[in-house]
Amino acid sequence: MHHIYCPYCEEIREEEEYSYTGEAHIERPKDPASISDEVWGDYMFFRSNPRGIHHEMWYHAAGCRRYFNATRDTHSYQIHETYKMGELPTVTAPTKAAPTKAAAQGDAS
Amino acid sequence: MTSLSANLSAEDMMESSLHHHAVHTNATDAGVVMKEDKFRGHVNLRGNPQDTAFMVAVESVLGVALPTRANTSVRNGDTVVYWLCPNEWLLIVASGTQGQLEADLRSAMDGQHIAITDISSAQTLVNLSGSGLAELLQKSTVYDCHESNFPAGKVVQTTFAKTGTTMCKLEDGSMDFVIRRSFSDYFFLWLQDASEEYGLRVA
Repeated sequence: MHHIYCPYCEEIREEEEYSYTGEAHIERPKDPASISDEVWGDYMFFRSNPRGIHHEMWYHAAGCRRYFNATRDTHSYQIHETYKMGELPTVTAPTKAAPTKAAAQGDAS
Repeated sequence: MTSLSANLSAEDMMESSLHHHAVHTNATDAGVVMKEDKFRGHVNLRGNPQDTAFMVAVESVLGVALPTRANTSVRNGDTVVYWLCPNEWLLIVASGTQGQLEADLRSAMDGQHIAITDISSAQTLVNLSGSGLAELLQKSTVYDCHESNFPAGKVVQTTFAKTGTTMCKLEDGSMDFVIRRSFSDYFFLWLQDASEEYGLRVA
């Protein structure tokens, strides 16, 4: 059982209160009608599957019912940090550039 | 309910979601005492706490400022305000006054970006007390309810035997639980089972 810090409740709570909701920082294309099926398909269906640092969304389902972001190591399952929506991670994978500020609301590229 | 012509009050016509358990009163030396605070007005309020106009308007209606610190509550007579998340609060008021409260809030916050929802019929308030309460909580919820972590006035939304609940510690050491009416039967059956060794009394 993990203890996860909720940045909104400002407390460490049991994993039982949360649910995992997928990769973070994925931005919906601004104008879906003008992009190719391939770009839309990438946005819709393709997710990174790293071994190591992964930025992902969690949902505090039994608590404040807010979504927040977490940086988790998919190899060790260690959660390095949790941070609010719209914020940037402070822990990033060494080989991959950190998400830009513009992508803080979500962008996979 | 205004068209009732008989001598029945509105409350006579209403039925709590825990009504069928009212017969379960037993030992007077029970370690766990359950008391339902029926038919209170429950109003969910959403708005931006950084907006001074919103905070001032709510305080003018409630008589107390909304709590902005996480997991806290304030009380003003019959009115209790729970912090639920940074922009959401639960207002629990005296039975039957929720309609007026909603109207007062709406007129005080006319034109503001807010949401007010009367959820009185969706949930009920249950108070648990007694010498067996601490142990009962230990096996019922994943949250640490020891007084060092859970002082009076604190509000925590968590799970209670896998159903969601909002808990608030009172000054007398008892705990208030806000439970969904659709889970109240489950809640009571769990309570009955979990409090077997302490004895349960329904007050």
